[in-house]
Amino acid sequence: MTEMIIRRVGLLALILFAVSFMTFMIVNVLPGDVAAVVLGDGASPEQVHLLREKLGLNEPVLTRFVSWLGDMLRGDFGVSLLYGQPIKPMLATRLYNSLVLAFLALVLSVPVAILLGTVTAMKRGSWIDRIISSLTAVTFALPEFVKGLALILVFGIWLEVLPGSSLIEAGRHPLSQPLILVLPVLTVAIGMQPYFVQITRAGMIEAFRSDYVRTAVLKGLPPHVVALKHALRNGVLPAVAVIGMTLGNALGGLVVVETVFSYPGIGQLMVSAISARDVPIIQSTVMIVAAAYAVGNLLADIVSIALNPRLRY
Amino acid sequence: MIQQRLPTGTPIPLPDATLCVDGLSISYGAAKVVRDVTLRIAPGEAYGLIGESGSGKSTIAFSVMGYLNGGTASAGRITIAGHDILTLPDRKLRRLRGPVVSMVFQDPMNALNPSIRVGEQIAEGIRYHTGAGKAEAEARAIELIDQVKLPEPEDIVRRYPHQLSGGQQQRIVIAMALALEPALLILDEPTTGLDVTTEATILDLITEIKQRSNVALLFISHNLGVVARMCDRVGVLYAGDLIEEGPTAEVLQRPSHPYTRGLISAVPSIAGELEMVGIPGSLPDLTEVPKGCIFRARCSIAIAACGEAPVPMETVRPGHASRCLRWRDCLAELNPPQAAAVRAPLDGEKRLEIDSVIRSFPGARRLPFLKPRPAVQALRGVSLDIRAGETLAVVGESGSGKSTLGRLVAGLDRPAGGTIRFEGRDVTALSRERTVDDQRAVQFIFQNPHSALNPHHTVEEIVGRPLRLYLGLQGTELRRRIVEILRAVRLGERYMTRAPHELSGGEKQRVCIARAFAAEPRLVVCDEPTSALDISVQAAILQELQTLQRESAHRTAYMFITHDLGVVRQIADRVAVMYLGEIVELGATRDIFSRPQHPYTEALLAAVPELRPTRASRMRLQGVVPRPTNPPSGCSFHTRCPRLKGDICSQKAPPTRSKASGHAMRCHHDINTLKALQSAELENRTEPARP
Amino acid sequence: MQNASASASSQIPPLRRYRLRPVDLVLGPVILVVFLMLLVPGWIAPGSPTEFDPMASLIPPGGDYLLGTDEFGRDVYTRIVHGARPTLIVAFAGAVVGVILGTLTGMLAGYAGGRVDETLMRFMDALMSFPTLILATLIVVMLGSNPVNVVAALAVVFWPRSARIVRAVAMDVARRAFIEAAWVRGESHLFILFRELLPSVMNVAVIDLSLRITYATMLSASLSYLGVGVHPPTPAWGLMVKEGQQFIQFASWLVVVPCTTIAIVAVTCVLLGERLRELLAPAHRGEQ
Repeated sequence: MTEMIIRRVGLLALILFAVSFMTFMIVNVLPGDVAAVVLGDGASPEQVHLLREKLGLNEPVLTRFVSWLGDMLRGDFGVSLLYGQPIKPMLATRLYNSLVLAFLALVLSVPVAILLGTVTAMKRGSWIDRIISSLTAVTFALPEFVKGLALILVFGIWLEVLPGSSLIEAGRHPLSQPLILVLPVLTVAIGMQPYFVQITRAGMIEAFRSDYVRTAVLKGLPPHVVALKHALRNGVLPAVAVIGMTLGNALGGLVVVETVFSYPGIGQLMVSAISARDVPIIQSTVMIVAAAYAVGNLLADIVSIALNPRLRY
Repeated sequence: MIQQRLPTGTPIPLPDATLCVDGLSISYGAAKVVRDVTLRIAPGEAYGLIGESGSGKSTIAFSVMGYLNGGTASAGRITIAGHDILTLPDRKLRRLRGPVVSMVFQDPMNALNPSIRVGEQIAEGIRYHTGAGKAEAEARAIELIDQVKLPEPEDIVRRYPHQLSGGQQQRIVIAMALALEPALLILDEPTTGLDVTTEATILDLITEIKQRSNVALLFISHNLGVVARMCDRVGVLYAGDLIEEGPTAEVLQRPSHPYTRGLISAVPSIAGELEMVGIPGSLPDLTEVPKGCIFRARCSIAIAACGEAPVPMETVRPGHASRCLRWRDCLAELNPPQAAAVRAPLDGEKRLEIDSVIRSFPGARRLPFLKPRPAVQALRGVSLDIRAGETLAVVGESGSGKSTLGRLVAGLDRPAGGTIRFEGRDVTALSRERTVDDQRAVQFIFQNPHSALNPHHTVEEIVGRPLRLYLGLQGTELRRRIVEILRAVRLGERYMTRAPHELSGGEKQRVCIARAFAAEPRLVVCDEPTSALDISVQAAILQELQTLQRESAHRTAYMFITHDLGVVRQIADRVAVMYLGEIVELGATRDIFSRPQHPYTEALLAAVPELRPTRASRMRLQGVVPRPTNPPSGCSFHTRCPRLKGDICSQKAPPTRSKASGHAMRCHHDINTLKALQSAELENRTEPARP
Repeated sequence: MQNASASASSQIPPLRRYRLRPVDLVLGPVILVVFLMLLVPGWIAPGSPTEFDPMASLIPPGGDYLLGTDEFGRDVYTRIVHGARPTLIVAFAGAVVGVILGTLTGMLAGYAGGRVDETLMRFMDALMSFPTLILATLIVVMLGSNPVNVVAALAVVFWPRSARIVRAVAMDVARRAFIEAAWVRGESHLFILFRELLPSVMNVAVIDLSLRITYATMLSASLSYLGVGVHPPTPAWGLMVKEGQQFIQFASWLVVVPCTTIAIVAVTCVLLGERLRELLAPAHRGEQ
């Protein structure tokens, strides 16, 4: 087991390296020129040339990659072109805010998804199954902003019970204003739901069909013991394995959700950087999100190894 | 337990019968898979239910547990120790499962929960049904594990299923079933899928359980030999009808139904005196059950009356009944099986020469800086040759390396050392790297015909492919040739446009054979070609292969890989016995089947449950097969050998001994010592072969 | 013992297995309308989607303007109809390219195994270690904001995901004996890949495509909502939502209408995908 975990951690380092390399390459090697992107369409060749000098773009790509990676490892994410300030402090609070959002959504989502997945699997083909399955299929297909705006319209504008915007005043902790978190958390949680439910449902159906569940039934055990002790243990394993991936997708979805609610997280920082063409911030935020994604996957891997005796021994 | 019967065949209710099944009919949707089945099992009695796939035997087993799983019992009653199973509400039924009736399943690997320790899996039922405490239940679990003869029960309780071997897992399942001392124990193919030596020890355990308790056994099997060994009475199921029932010895020796007879003649025996014969035709469609005898379409002695009305159970003798109008003519009119042709080694030119072939599968790498896991040593220096027109059987249990050997010959894999020569040419390479002529000359027939045919191609495309590829045939010439080949494997022209899913298992394997022979091969590697098929189909396919070999213009040789010694006896000229990647004995079929043999060969033969009781050795192998990653030193069989000579066995590789020309075995005992040891055991044996 | 008939039913050609279901009666018309919007938008909405009309600013739905007007007086209905192309064609093209790439890669990796598989899949893993939206955004921003680059970005996003699914199936099929039979015959790798393997992974690829189209629609709408890949005054649905969001308090139709359109199309995609799955890979429900 330790061996597998060490292996996964090693893999994580490798993935992070690959991700940083690819991020850097997409930004620096694809046909678009960074200086031109930063300056926009109206820039003159001289301006572009000056900026290239200033950003050190005339050096070989690999040299720049190595120094960028080295800076990042030392915690230096560079200076924002737009604000002229170091990026690191901006990233820290934004990342924290985003993690709060993602974590709350995950905590809300997982138990509900396991419950729904189990119920639909046990009542396969019944009206409960059909309703839940159709609902999850529909929420799966809706973009994050449609879900978010629907919630804003219903709770923020028509019912006027919750704030439709989630701006946080500078220096305040997101949890100090719990009300503003409700709608964004709900949106992210609903977004995570369908995939979890489907995987849990499939896993549980497989488990209920298995010979070992038949053995448990024929041992005379009551249905709740069969479901909770025999089926659930194996049935949720596939769902646990994808928690990391779902979390990652949710982090991607955060970009939209944070924009919808004007929530000051890392996604919103990235979007505003995109419209301002602030390449250093774009690069750093992408790196951070990808890193969070990779770490999430690692944690999920470790949990599923711990839960599965076949992998543990 | 012989009962009196009314003329209609309805048994008089036995007042104290443990299990009474009366007129049971079960259907899944439109398919009536079990129809009007009546049977009784008395306390302490073992009743065997024999049938091929589709006979409904497992359906009956599960319905006795009250577990229909989507099916409906449209008629009939099941009573166990006075409880009416089919009418009980779930809550009460649950109370019976375990204390009154329990079950041992086929495929113990899947029957056990992979993420719960085996001790807990035994203990939880005890706690639930008796209200025992945790410690008490676990103590009982340890006791049970000890009873099923697993070593170190205190250690075993804490293991997970995947940490046990197949035979050990089945012992756990048996312990689980015995936990609450049920009145009825159902065994659903308990040894199918296990190696023959493991099967023998599991059957011994069941025999012992039967002797020491008064439990009634319902033993479900497709293997007539197993039933013959284990059961007092048998019932024969065909397509959902109980067609014959009676005392085991009587039914198996004087079968009074054409189907039973056919089934018995289809079983290949290691005694090998009789030729096996298949049953033509296939299972009827159970959504539209014919009015008369269900076997009529495949029966060679059927008369008009057979199709007119349901056939009642007719009493053959007290306690022996048959659902056949012509049971009296059964013995007279059906051709008696013919004596098997004696096969002997041929002295044609050498087709295939395998010389000290080695193959190991490297273990997965763990971490970059650690050593990789040890390699699986699948083949450790194997040498043999096959002559033109000859059939060489390669026998062994799982993990012996026999399949790997076949794959190397066919070029599906490449050896790590040694050479393979075909007709004198070196073909030690993947088939892709061989010449077109060599590709064409060596063909392969796979174990599982269901996966050997591309589901998206028609029979015409499948059989035509080698003809296009090797012979460049096209158009009408191609078609003509395909029809010809299909006829040769007894499939008509109408099969041309069929897709694999429209074929039965036997028909699929015929298509595979047709594809192999379309290339006009000079060597065919057959990898367990009948192990996925029913016995009656197996016999026909084996006959087919023999006919094709006899009639082939190229004197086609077979390398026949199998675990079934009965099949070996029937079709092989010579036999190679493999254990842990080595050939331990090689010789003419008659030399392999006659004493003295290598101790492993002896144990293999002793383990085969035979239809007719024989004066065979009762040798059993204890312990588990050593890991192929770390084969034992000296003689690789020494860890399990019952004829261990001494320390030399674990220290030095055994020398080669020969008892006849062309025979070789590797053992530290010389031939005469082995002979003496083996006859001594037979003389000392006081108890008969059948308990 | 019932398995034989169940597995046989999955082999019947899909079209012969088709049965009309009530849901088809809803799906049919919606698909027809979407196709009209894509093929002949000018025919069902003759007006201009981009021309300003200061006199008709922010008129609520009903009356002359079926779905109201926006702040520049543009008819929302016309913009929705003309917005189908920039939203959906991009999504469709991106999904198709991605799934084709993914199918080829997955098939190759699953069939070849070993080092080829390892190399290809590690590359796919690296691509997959970016959340979808982030990777798509990054690519479009760096390549330049235009529809072709959005197609490329979507394709890159779906490529590894498709490849993984197809690879799993291909690995399973590649282990079947009929592939080994082709090996023993000495068939070329190309023959095995395209004649033996492809037919078996085709169903999965088509089902995957239906899923990816749904997902691509969502992603393309999200990108345009973020203002990535499209520029005003293009009437892409996501962009319309973004522009309308500032008026959500008093002109909610500017958000509701495009959102609802996206929702309808998305749900249609899901249902269509499910029908397709029923036809191509019927789960053996209730047969056991």
